[in-house]
Amino acid sequence: MALDLEEQEQLASLKGWWKDYGGIVVFLLLGVALALAGWRGWQWYQGSQAAHASAVYDTLGKAIQAGDAKAVRDASGSLIESYPRTVYAAMGALSAARFLHDAGDLKNAKTQLEWLASGTRYPEFRDTARLRLAAMLLDEKAYDAALKTLEAGRTEGYESQFSALRGDVLLASGKPAEAKSAYQAALDTAKKSNTVGTPFHETVRLRLEALGG
Amino acid sequence: MGGWAAPTRLQFAPSETPQTIEMYDFIQKRKRLIQLMLALVVVPFAFFGLESYTRGTGGADEVAKVDGMPISEREFGEEWKQQQERMRGMFGRNFDPSFLDTPESRRALLDGLIARRLVAAAIAKANIVISDDSLREAIASIPAFQVGGKFSHENYETLLRAQGMTIATFESQMRHDLAVSMLGRALATTAIVPRSVAERLAVLEGQKYEVSEALVPAQQFMGEVALDEAKLKAYYDGNAVQFRTSERIKAEYLVLSGEEIAKQVQPTEADLRAVYEQRGAQMKVDEQRRASHILIQASPTAPEADRKAARAKLEDVAAQLKKSPAAFADLARKVSQDTGSAIKGGDLGFFGRGMMAKPFEDAAFSLKDGETSAIVETEFGYHLIRVTGIRAASARKFEDVRAELLAELRQKQAAQKFAEAAETFSNMVYEQTSGLGPVAEKFGLKVQATDWIGSDPASVPKLLANPKLIGALFSPDSIKAKRNTDAVEVAPSTLVAARVTEHQSAKTRPYEEVRADIEKKLRLAGALKLAAAKGGALLEQTRKGGAGELAWSAPRQVTRGAPQGLDTEALKKVVATPSDRLPAYFGLEKGNDGYAVYRVSRVTPPEPKPAEQANADLQRVAGLYGSTQYEAFVASLRSKADVKINEKVLQKRETR
Repeated sequence: MALDLEEQEQLASLKGWWKDYGGIVVFLLLGVALALAGWRGWQWYQGSQAAHASAVYDTLGKAIQAGDAKAVRDASGSLIESYPRTVYAAMGALSAARFLHDAGDLKNAKTQLEWLASGTRYPEFRDTARLRLAAMLLDEKAYDAALKTLEAGRTEGYESQFSALRGDVLLASGKPAEAKSAYQAALDTAKKSNTVGTPFHETVRLRLEALGG
Repeated sequence: MGGWAAPTRLQFAPSETPQTIEMYDFIQKRKRLIQLMLALVVVPFAFFGLESYTRGTGGADEVAKVDGMPISEREFGEEWKQQQERMRGMFGRNFDPSFLDTPESRRALLDGLIARRLVAAAIAKANIVISDDSLREAIASIPAFQVGGKFSHENYETLLRAQGMTIATFESQMRHDLAVSMLGRALATTAIVPRSVAERLAVLEGQKYEVSEALVPAQQFMGEVALDEAKLKAYYDGNAVQFRTSERIKAEYLVLSGEEIAKQVQPTEADLRAVYEQRGAQMKVDEQRRASHILIQASPTAPEADRKAARAKLEDVAAQLKKSPAAFADLARKVSQDTGSAIKGGDLGFFGRGMMAKPFEDAAFSLKDGETSAIVETEFGYHLIRVTGIRAASARKFEDVRAELLAELRQKQAAQKFAEAAETFSNMVYEQTSGLGPVAEKFGLKVQATDWIGSDPASVPKLLANPKLIGALFSPDSIKAKRNTDAVEVAPSTLVAARVTEHQSAKTRPYEEVRADIEKKLRLAGALKLAAAKGGALLEQTRKGGAGELAWSAPRQVTRGAPQGLDTEALKKVVATPSDRLPAYFGLEKGNDGYAVYRVSRVTPPEPKPAEQANADLQRVAGLYGSTQYEAFVASLRSKADVKINEKVLQKRETR
């Protein structure tokens, strides 16, 4: 029975431990459970947002196909209004901007891109929007605004295109020397990321060589 | 916690050993530590399941790891195979894709796989989902599943089953593909390009430049180059490496050729006769007979009644034949159960002994020409046989086979003689230390000699370009001791033995030998320099409006796409010509020819394009920008991901 006594002792000490720490353990477990529930809930919420946004995005696609400018504006507006954090809003803004741009509604096309250039949590979409916004500003001869748009921070992978477009803007605003170095920078970045020789960079080389670079 | 602590349970425990007690002790003392450890083990299970323990331990056969998810060698191999299939589809069955197997192409393939992983992860993270409606629509629009232009569910299921795919797998794959394409389209087909840039690109591509060229030839200045012995010598001393030669030899050699020996062999008439006699049996042609038959089938194992019936049937036929013997062929066509011969009126063609069933053969070879047999029984059934032709046994005449025998005998004798000669030849060249002369005499061969040759097979006469022979020639035995090499079989029944006659070690060629070359070289370099100076001066003059002595070529119309023979460097300068300052001049050194001065006299912008064409150009550039922006999207994902590539596994040859 000596062993039993030993075990009794063990149990007693465990009970004592529980008395001291049981509250904390229960509290911690509760916390973990709550966090899990919250996490799952957040996932569910995001999923349901995505499902709703997806339906609106489908509507937008159909409006573009039908060439219905008003419906395009409405659908994209609704995505931006109600589901701004979804990728659908970002995709929608890009699609709507191109459609409106081609249809000659430059003001509304720009509104889409302006929102995306600052209002999305997807940096790749943000930078894509900045490139397209700056392209539109260049055609409007709003060179300073275009340069300002291109100055904002950018993610890796986009530098080369930003530099090339900067070159275009600088050349148009009568600064061929600066344009030349911008084009050169575009090709240098491309060389670093091993994308030199792609069709896009061939066009940059064309532009650079025309300036004697 | 009452139940948990019930002591009765513990009483049933087997008697604890001291170790277990120690362990209790251990646990007691480190309760909190152990609880923490337990938590660490349990928590990942709660969140990710078992997977996180099994994942990422393979290591060795992973080609890459993308955010902890491995890309296995097998997956890479599958992709490799698919790419090969695509290539074969493009270039035809016989295309061998293995020559495209470079480290770069493997890398590109892997990059594609990694990109796919990254995009898939991005899609999951961004919650891009395809609605059931869109999925249904997409599947219904696949032509393969349609019958008469309408989606057929039956067809859908059958086709998938044929591919060994369940509907669930296919639909989830389809959902994923649709999501990828949705994302891709949203980025790549929506690009906006500055109209001004697209227009400028079109101009740059289509602009025509009128270019003339005037060469100041170096040839003209050759005489003016000041050279003296000291300069030549200084060049020789300064560029010794250029004048190094490798080890070389001159050799003499003998060729023992089976073909030559075959020409010397002349079998006598008596030899031929002897062979003919010897082969008497082979020269005979056995008797051959041609026959037709009528068969009524009856298996030997068939019931007696059936066999009787078959025989009766054939007896009937025999009776008819007796009445009208000429009807054999007709009857064969009608009743013979040997369908192959029946359609030919029973004809079996010529055959010799041993080719037919024994009773059939006996009958066929005992009849006279045109005679018909009585009923013959074989394992196939009952036959009526008529002989329709006889070729008596014959023997081929000596005259007919003489040429055949001669060729055969000559070859045999030549091979024999060559084998004998080869052995003697090999032994003699090995034993002779005083050169190849006596061997040549013995075999009536001519000793041939080479010019200087190096150990590089390309510099060696084709017959001697055998690695074994060259190795032997450049061995110390040959070079130092001047011994004959072994006889080496350089081609079928062609033996060569050789011997070094002269040898030069690797050395720097003496100044005297190369002086002329150096002079030529320095003279050209000097002349080019003079030409460049002169050309430069003329260029300046011309720029200032001087008429100059330049001999201008006829102007050419040059575009980027069609440079009209203009070299790359010149073209690069031409396209950089500003169109507001014409004519423009520039000069370039032109290889060894001299110095070229170029004149751009006119820049013609491309014809303005019709609006439709201009719009198409814009769309094309927009497409280009769009796909570049999608690539940037993938590049950005990759820069943020943790990608590890296992170069060793990637470049392993078997990974296919």
